[in-house]
Amino acid sequence: MTTTDWGFANQLEDVGGEIAIVGIGDSDYSKASGRTTQQIAAQATERALADAGLSAADIDGLMYVPFSADQFDAAAFRAHFGTTRALWESQKGGGMVWAGSAPYDAALAIRSGRATYVLNTFAVAWATQRAQMVGGPGQVHAEDEYKQNLEVPFGWFPQPVYFATIARRHMHEFGTTAEQLGAIAVACRRHAGLTPGAVMREKPLTLADYLRSPTIADPFRKEDCCLISDGGAAYIMTSLERARDLRQPIVAVLGVGLGTSHTGAYWSQQAAFTATPQVFAAPGAFAMAGVRPRDVDVLACYDPFTIVSLMQIEDMGFCAKGDGGPFVAGDTLHFDGGALPYNTHGGMLSHAYVLGIAHVVEIVRQLRRTAAAQVRDASIGIYGGYTGPQASTLILERR
Amino acid sequence: MHPDFPLPDVTWEPARPFWEAAARGVLLITRCEQCGRLVWYPETPCRYCRGASLSWIEVSGRGRLFSWSVVRYAWIPQVADRLPFVTGLVALEEDPAVRVVTYVVDCAPDALRCDMAVQVVFRPLRYPGVAGEVIAPLFTPA
Repeated sequence: MTTTDWGFANQLEDVGGEIAIVGIGDSDYSKASGRTTQQIAAQATERALADAGLSAADIDGLMYVPFSADQFDAAAFRAHFGTTRALWESQKGGGMVWAGSAPYDAALAIRSGRATYVLNTFAVAWATQRAQMVGGPGQVHAEDEYKQNLEVPFGWFPQPVYFATIARRHMHEFGTTAEQLGAIAVACRRHAGLTPGAVMREKPLTLADYLRSPTIADPFRKEDCCLISDGGAAYIMTSLERARDLRQPIVAVLGVGLGTSHTGAYWSQQAAFTATPQVFAAPGAFAMAGVRPRDVDVLACYDPFTIVSLMQIEDMGFCAKGDGGPFVAGDTLHFDGGALPYNTHGGMLSHAYVLGIAHVVEIVRQLRRTAAAQVRDASIGIYGGYTGPQASTLILERR
Repeated sequence: MHPDFPLPDVTWEPARPFWEAAARGVLLITRCEQCGRLVWYPETPCRYCRGASLSWIEVSGRGRLFSWSVVRYAWIPQVADRLPFVTGLVALEEDPAVRVVTYVVDCAPDALRCDMAVQVVFRPLRYPGVAGEVIAPLFTPA
């Protein structure tokens, strides 16, 4: 199948090596906690500022996604920190695909002098909100009129059902097995077990445990599906020159790619049913960065379901399309000796479901060599972002 | 969300002919008036040629089971009394790029296979707490 009949690569300017991520912050990650989205984002931001050695008054750029009404926008930032300075504000930040593409837009803003220190945050309080099915992960889909009228009436709702259907087809086309999907869940759980703050830190999972557990949306078991969490994270970007004067080891943005599917979030109609727009995003990022998949020391992908990890690993070129199952089997994804250390904080399956922004924080931590499940000598790390309609590839390098 | 959720809103204009036809046992799909290809869902512009108008045509109701899931957990309470159920996608004989979302009925889950031949049947959909029923195209092994 050609890769041009169902989507395209967004054309991006070369921003490789222009900026660095100089501060990272996690919120507390939890099940239902009663916290608000803005409280969570503010906590992550305070920690990112401390990590960078900056103050709130240094921040003159702010990125978030208008994904819910309660994201950490300029008004919320000023109210929390008591600052008054003008902020370059962009709604092309946040989590998911944008956790990977925000550095591109930040680099353009920094290059043009519109901002010097840009903060990107994302937070959710979905564990707290879940009881009302308000603001939860299914809501945006439930509100879509095509889905309401042509999917939901037939029980094809919400995301676990969509992606179970994709996993079934992947199994049919390529021979992918439950054991192979389980290897992803097991690697993520092992990494979460080593990571302070991970929601599933005290819940070990073996492949035998996985295979014994019942399916909830066949072929998915509960462990194929991400958590529902309260939490968020933040990271701060600035020019490479300014980064040299700050306290942390330099983690440079080496490449960014963005890809788009023609069929958006209507997975039922996506021509390449067992693929992600990473096939469009990753080549541009690798070209901008001047590196190849074999050069990558650590990978983190937006992982709502095991199959989404597997497809992105294929689509980014870490193995041939369809070989993802055999590729991820065994210890390939483990931090300590695996060929492709993956979601070394536990990912959305086992760390927290904060939609990818914690993945970027983890990759930065890996490249600083301060991660809990540290990959030895990690120098190049990648985040694969995903929303369904789009995918992003963010390539970071320790300088 | 409309008040009959998770039943369809049969008065919602983009899919109204689909539900009206189903009520008389006919499966209709939209076709682009410019390029002639079947286009699903019924939204414009056409994803192939950017054509601005669609017409509804009758299809055979034959197709192949593209993929499915056996659902054993109620993510919305209205489906709890149907568990387990089989929901999935049928690729139509006229153009397999069109995948109709459907329930697969009258078949043991263990007997399902990707690409098995299926055909449409028309059955009422009902959900607890929602008044009335809607006749819908479901699929069964051919």
